[in-house]
Amino acid sequence: MDLDDRGTRLRLGAAVATVVLVVAAALALGWPLADIVTVGFIERTLQAATPIALASLGGLYAEKSGVFNIGLEGFMIFGAANTGALVWLLGGESPTQADLWVAMGLAVALSVAYTALFAVLLIRYKANQIVAGLAVWFIGLGFGPFTAVLVWGNRNSPGLVSMADVTVPGLAELPVVGPVLFDTSPLVLLTIFVAIGAWVFLYRTRYGYWLQAAGENPEALDTAGVSVNRVRYAAVIFSGAMAGLAGAVLLAHSGSFTGTGQTMVNGRGWIGIVAYLFGNYNPLGAAAAALLFGGLDMLQIQFQTVGIQVPNRLVNLFPYAAVVVVLTVWSSTRMPSALGEPYESED
Amino acid sequence: MTLAILIGLLVVAFAGYDPVQFLRNVAIGAFGDANALARTLKFTTLFILTGVAVAIAFRAGVFNIGVQGQFVVGGFATVIAILQFAPFLPTGTTGGVLLMVLGTVAGIIGGGAYGALPGILKAYGDANEIVTTIMLNFIATGAVGYLVDGPFRGEGNRAPNTARIPEYVSLPRVVFDVPDFSVVGLAVTLLVVVAIAWVMARTRFGYDMVTSGHQIAAATFSGVNAERTIVATMTLSGMVAGVAGALFAIMIQGYYSDPAGIGTYGFDAIAVSLLAANNPLGVVPAGFLFGGLDSAGSHIRINSDVPVQLIDGIIGLVVLFVAVPELFRMAAERTGLGGEN
Repeated sequence: MDLDDRGTRLRLGAAVATVVLVVAAALALGWPLADIVTVGFIERTLQAATPIALASLGGLYAEKSGVFNIGLEGFMIFGAANTGALVWLLGGESPTQADLWVAMGLAVALSVAYTALFAVLLIRYKANQIVAGLAVWFIGLGFGPFTAVLVWGNRNSPGLVSMADVTVPGLAELPVVGPVLFDTSPLVLLTIFVAIGAWVFLYRTRYGYWLQAAGENPEALDTAGVSVNRVRYAAVIFSGAMAGLAGAVLLAHSGSFTGTGQTMVNGRGWIGIVAYLFGNYNPLGAAAAALLFGGLDMLQIQFQTVGIQVPNRLVNLFPYAAVVVVLTVWSSTRMPSALGEPYESED
Repeated sequence: MTLAILIGLLVVAFAGYDPVQFLRNVAIGAFGDANALARTLKFTTLFILTGVAVAIAFRAGVFNIGVQGQFVVGGFATVIAILQFAPFLPTGTTGGVLLMVLGTVAGIIGGGAYGALPGILKAYGDANEIVTTIMLNFIATGAVGYLVDGPFRGEGNRAPNTARIPEYVSLPRVVFDVPDFSVVGLAVTLLVVVAIAWVMARTRFGYDMVTSGHQIAAATFSGVNAERTIVATMTLSGMVAGVAGALFAIMIQGYYSDPAGIGTYGFDAIAVSLLAANNPLGVVPAGFLFGGLDSAGSHIRINSDVPVQLIDGIIGLVVLFVAVPELFRMAAERTGLGGEN
């Protein structure tokens, strides 16, 4: 399960090989690669990857504990819609950065409340995890825009406020790393800390081992005197909080709420699921996969600036197509063995 | 179901609207007059067909969330086929019928192929079909949206739409004199339902499909080829979604527009199918219920200031409660009411 695990290494090798191949192909076609991969592109990629990575880390924890939280997409929609509505309620037409932070915090708290209910349905009442997760998505697709209509009279919000970049004096002067990490949205740094923290917690603490045991061998965990369901409740609620935060981050980066079509979340929760599968249930792998999908998402701007003529509509589909390819080629992940099975203690 | 509607009414009241007025609007919007009824039946046909498409897959234990994408690809294929073949066939009724048959076949092939793809990826590449079908929905919407905007945009169209299919390619107006619903469409729909119900209950193929959904080990032991069954299930499911797409294209729209703007029948179909316990015959009343709700939605959009998205949310709640039979079993035990939910 560590970085030196064979499956992860194989996967990383294959991913690196793919990137090399793509770069070689681009050079052969005479694309101005240096103009495509710019510092701005890396910065945008990190920002686009942030919500995907957060949702992915949450989903990873739930799945490690033996519960498939397929409702990530729905919880992200709630996170984004609630943050937008709360920012509006707190700050009206011209909210401040403080309003935004408070709104994000409250929206995450609301997500915790929703997921607690969801967790009760899944764990206590043994709901079908797939159907219930899909239901969360539908409820999000309905009530997210509904909230927007109630608040703004329209499914899309007016411009609210977006997260200001934070410049770390000194460090921001470093070449490449400076602008990418120390002169950008603080949420990018936050996500990097969460990813590293999630890795340390999962593989280096007692609680992390409990979490893994709840998904792999719940009987053993029970025998050791730890409540399987309590661990699972914690993991599912964490996943909802992360998805809610992911939605809040998405709103904070774009600065307004979009509720038309599939809403502004637009499949990122689903991509988050694929990111942790691709990352072989390793938090750092999941974050790296999120980076890949974020990069594909931002490719469109780069293509435009260097004048490569590919219709926008089609470039926008790259991340989705990549997900299908990734799932098919690298899908032989080993899921936690007790995934999806409700656990009932013998005593 | 009742619980979901009650929660919906509570939300209506909480948001400062009159729940009684809301209910009255729902009833008038769904069945108020002949036009409302025709509108309800129009949505019903789509919900039944897409619902059956979902039911086929779910019954076989394959989670085809991609009915929306298969519906879009099928409908687009129908319009393109009709436009391509129209110059070579006589105009008038004969040509119209021929073109409709050709178009529907194209829709079935398009939907079936788009359903087979995630089936193959699951069977031979072990790719989780829930995620691939959702991604393929996005890809279908984006790709068809690009095609109707660019290469296939009708000449002189200001909006991103294909050209119109000829006037004579349309279903006859019987009983209801409205442009976008024909009883013939409903009849075709019910025929498909009966055919699918027969295949699933009475043929070897249907038996294999349903057993592999319930007991994969037993099915494999009795000689069922699991991989081939998955692909066949997804193909059949996509084909029915293709029929829905064809009906949408011929009966309702008459051209194809950006799929980002058409109804999400393929998503709601998941709720329809679950409500019907994934039984193709049960999909008929469930589809009618959803048709009524959607029709009421169109009425409410015009005649009331309650945001129509509420109905989508209520549908989500229905699905959530369908997912937790245990909740109702326990509630029933607690309150001493048997089987009431």
